[in-house]
Amino acid sequence: MAADSDTESEVFEITDFTTASDWERFVSRVEEVLNEWKLIGNSEEKRLSEKSEFTSGTWEENFEEINFADFKFEITYHFLKQEHVKSNKKEELEEDAVPLAVQNLLSENNDFPPRAHCLVRWYGVQEFVVISPGSNCEAIISESKCNLLLSSISIALSNSGCQVPVFVQIQHKWRRMYAGECLGPGLRTDFEMVHLRKVPSQYNHLSGLLDVFKSKISCTISPVPPVSIAIRFTYILQDWQQYSWPQQPPDFDTPLGGEVGGVEFGKLPFGACEEPISELHLATTWPRLTEGLVVDNDVYSDLDPLQAPLWTVRVRTTENPQCLLGDVLSEFFKLCCIKETAEEILGRGMAEDEGKENSDISSALSKLTEPSATVPIHKLSVSNMVHSARKHIRRQRHMDESPLNAGILNTILLYLFPDAAVEKPSEYTKTKSEQSNTPGKTEQDKNSDNLFSQLKSAPSDSLTYRLALCLSLVNYNYGGLRAVAHVWQEFVLELRYRWENNYLIFGLAGGSPDLRCCLLHQKLQMLNCCIERKRARDDARKVLDEGKERAHRESGSSAAAVTSTKEVSPGKSWDSWSDSEEEFFECLSDQGDMDAPQTEEEKTGSKRKAEGRLHQYNSMNLLNSSEPLYVPVTQEPAPMTEDLLEEQSEVLAKLGTSAEGTHLRARMQSACLLSDMESFKAANPGCILDDFVRWYSPRDYVEEEVVDDTGSLVMKGHLSARMKIPGNMWVEAWETARVTPARRQKRLFDDTKEAERVLHYMAMQKPADVTLHLLPCLIHGTILKLKEEEATENIPSVQISLQQVVSQASRLMQTPARDYKRLEEFINRLIAMETVITQARSLKAKFSICDKAENREDLEIFVRSLLEEPEVLVIGAGQGPAGSIIHRMFVSAQRAAVLAPLDEDLNQERQSTESSRVPDFPSPAGREILLRTCVPRPAPYSKALPQRLFCVLLKDEFRLAGAFSSDTCFF
Amino acid sequence: MDEDVLTTLKLLIIGESGVGKSSLLLRFTDDTFDPELAATIGVDFKVKTLAIDGNRAKLAIWDTAGQERFRTLTPSYYRGAQGVILVYDVSRRDTFVKLENWLNELETYTTRMDLVKMLVGNKIDKDDREVDRNEGLKFARKHSMLFIEASAKTKDGVQCAFEELVEKILQTPGLWESDNTGQRLQLGEQQQGGGRACGGYCSIP
Repeated sequence: MAADSDTESEVFEITDFTTASDWERFVSRVEEVLNEWKLIGNSEEKRLSEKSEFTSGTWEENFEEINFADFKFEITYHFLKQEHVKSNKKEELEEDAVPLAVQNLLSENNDFPPRAHCLVRWYGVQEFVVISPGSNCEAIISESKCNLLLSSISIALSNSGCQVPVFVQIQHKWRRMYAGECLGPGLRTDFEMVHLRKVPSQYNHLSGLLDVFKSKISCTISPVPPVSIAIRFTYILQDWQQYSWPQQPPDFDTPLGGEVGGVEFGKLPFGACEEPISELHLATTWPRLTEGLVVDNDVYSDLDPLQAPLWTVRVRTTENPQCLLGDVLSEFFKLCCIKETAEEILGRGMAEDEGKENSDISSALSKLTEPSATVPIHKLSVSNMVHSARKHIRRQRHMDESPLNAGILNTILLYLFPDAAVEKPSEYTKTKSEQSNTPGKTEQDKNSDNLFSQLKSAPSDSLTYRLALCLSLVNYNYGGLRAVAHVWQEFVLELRYRWENNYLIFGLAGGSPDLRCCLLHQKLQMLNCCIERKRARDDARKVLDEGKERAHRESGSSAAAVTSTKEVSPGKSWDSWSDSEEEFFECLSDQGDMDAPQTEEEKTGSKRKAEGRLHQYNSMNLLNSSEPLYVPVTQEPAPMTEDLLEEQSEVLAKLGTSAEGTHLRARMQSACLLSDMESFKAANPGCILDDFVRWYSPRDYVEEEVVDDTGSLVMKGHLSARMKIPGNMWVEAWETARVTPARRQKRLFDDTKEAERVLHYMAMQKPADVTLHLLPCLIHGTILKLKEEEATENIPSVQISLQQVVSQASRLMQTPARDYKRLEEFINRLIAMETVITQARSLKAKFSICDKAENREDLEIFVRSLLEEPEVLVIGAGQGPAGSIIHRMFVSAQRAAVLAPLDEDLNQERQSTESSRVPDFPSPAGREILLRTCVPRPAPYSKALPQRLFCVLLKDEFRLAGAFSSDTCFF
Repeated sequence: MDEDVLTTLKLLIIGESGVGKSSLLLRFTDDTFDPELAATIGVDFKVKTLAIDGNRAKLAIWDTAGQERFRTLTPSYYRGAQGVILVYDVSRRDTFVKLENWLNELETYTTRMDLVKMLVGNKIDKDDREVDRNEGLKFARKHSMLFIEASAKTKDGVQCAFEELVEKILQTPGLWESDNTGQRLQLGEQQQGGGRACGGYCSIP
């Protein structure tokens, strides 16, 4: 098939490829691929790998599929990535330099790499190509097929001039059998392999293997060049004996014995339930021995692991050990996918109760709307009320059907609502709720830990956060889904109870819903806002009644009424104080019917009494009178949760961008402005719009120096141009505004309606919804827990991971739509961190780091690298501090394996005698022997070329991987 | 009609009352100037589609009232904004002095940590300038914002301000592609899983 045209002939010959066989096509395809990957010729960019570069460097691979007829092969190029070599190396490259792979055969820089392709381990090559049958194709087993493949390679290599060794995988995949070839200028290396199940006894030691090697290279010159030997024995330790995992799996039942008190619902569990480190592999290496220096035959061996100059250790970790924190988290996450509602889960009995409960509630509601029905709150203790309510609820339940028993449920509820438990409830709750309602608190949170806003969860001391931890633990320990549904129902009931009885919900920052938190948290805050408003209103009404009575009795001694007002409503939070203030004025002024002839009075001007003043404004006076200008008491704007906001902005946006839309939008939002104007009018009788603008929008009142009639400068003010536009919304609103103090205005915020909306929303949530709501909080808690646990261990990889995880979580949590798959991956990442921490703990315990003060630091470094590196060098080998610990471990494991269990003192007595009989180490699980030399082949006068034999002796595997080079110049 | 739109961005305009927020917006959306624009009540809303580098972005711009009293109401609308234009009046120093407060408010109420902020000094057509351009520059640098001086009346800088802001937002990864945040995440995961799965790799000797 040669395509070269004959130069002598003058006839044009047609080159015909049409009859090319499958085999020819296959060979040319291999050549094509080698060309594509630029593996042709002696590459200048590559250099011989340096010491342990196989481990530190990065390996890459190129991959392609090729066909032999309809049989699919995968061809892969594996190579160690190298930085470009400096140009001075170029000079050394000669035309007939030995290929890199052949140089690799003798290099001692990278013997026994801890993590590498098996061909790298066996042949030490730093680049190679493998052709193996495609994933669905059968193995190449018959000898003729193997030979065909090998010939293909030979042809491809010599055609293309590629100096990278090419291997073909033959026999069954699991046998990892390869044959290969490497062609260089004037030389050729054959890679051959023997693979047996049992080690033949004559080759079960160094001397036997040396014989094989020598006979194979059949060196004819004398003296025979020495064979260099590297040996590595690997011992496996599986039996940890007294070094075993120290952590006891936690006993979940004890803390809930009832009397023990401190139930740890707020604490996420942590740690592995099983030994996270399954095996320790000790590799003892003799890196450079020469033939004759060491004896190892079937009767005697010099190879004592304790004397090996090089010890390396690696640990095998248990795959996915059961870890508590991870379990809690992933079990909770599983709830997200459950479709049923709480009623469906808990059964019909519960649902019926719900119905009863609801009817009770509605009647209670109607009662509440009656002013006479209000209870004198200060006389009742909160805990009494809460408990009696709960008993009442529970009595209706079918106890046997509820998945949680009363004791546990009570502890849970007390954990969630600790204010209900205290002996002196009224004072405690008041101070506590005030504490948690101070705005300064949220500031602190922001500074110390803004994790919650990154994760959109909730502050770590909030009810929402506690609910998340609690439900996750309830799910994990106390009955799973049914229990979660049950607790949630109880939770919603408790919320309703608190709303109806004017008890603030404990453990929430006061004020409007914090939009940085999760929606559920916002809803709870919203409910608290409603309770606060309602409470203020009820208090006010009560005071009003009292005040009226008193007014009758004491004939208008208003001062007394003032003090009493202040006494009765001390439990108010910071943002409702203005409401109580409002009442103060109410008492002062509520003597006649003001509401009726308003327009009349407005016209007559300042004769009316002022109402609802908050304080004087910048010692300004009204423009048309000498009265000071007062800031009125105003209605607080309606608090909003993010879903409400979304709704509202949608409504506003839907109005469009036309002038009309803008006008409508302004009108819709002018309720607040109007209310403020009315309050202002009430507080400042005789005021005009200019006065209002001076307070409300000072920049729209322009003051200028004007020369008056007498010639002196005076300040004159007027409204800005935009306020003077006829018919503008401000003027319009001012004209329609009546004189009404805030407390008599229509409420801008209908707390009853909003509270019912929140409670309805809560009641409608399925357990899965609740789980989704709370997931950010649980992830928040998990991250905090991991941080806490990591702090004592100081593991750099976990530290880095933790940082990444926070930003990853913040991305996941900020988007409203949950991506389950990504969440699951994320959770697995958290679990992986817990596993690493438990592994570190286990290793620390095993290497008894706490005991020895002197070597502590070295050992700590050693343990840390065990976790981070595939294989760790033991400093001082068997004699070093870590080495002696490892030695002890093996000794005790050996003794335990060989001896029958004895009493301890007996054991100690016998120790001296027994230890001589029992070897310190078990027989090696694996032996690797590497033989290298450089001899001329095939004839004594040929060039001396690298020869190598790598022997692997395992319990059920015997493998000889040989690479034998020969000079091809004259043969 | 939104078919060829790459993304919808939410922008905010904030600043003291009377600095010309609504005028800037009106100039940008309708290219008109109304010296008698009524003071905004609560929030107002305008939409405009803008083409940047061949990508069309739909802008939903929320204009807010600057009055102190409205600040209990307006910050609720900060949520989810990707960009904010903070306006002051170069002829009124007090509007410049208050900028710090507005930034604090932004910090408190916006949900995105990485939103793009632009400072606009408005009314440069006026003769009685009280705030020097350099002061504005300095402030913007200190708070890592974009900065431009503009005049809604004369049109100067208005279009440019909005375009610049939108361009910056589009350049900020993860800020606007709410659904496509995966690319970065996957990177992180790749780093984590270092082990290659291959039948030919050998773990035990």
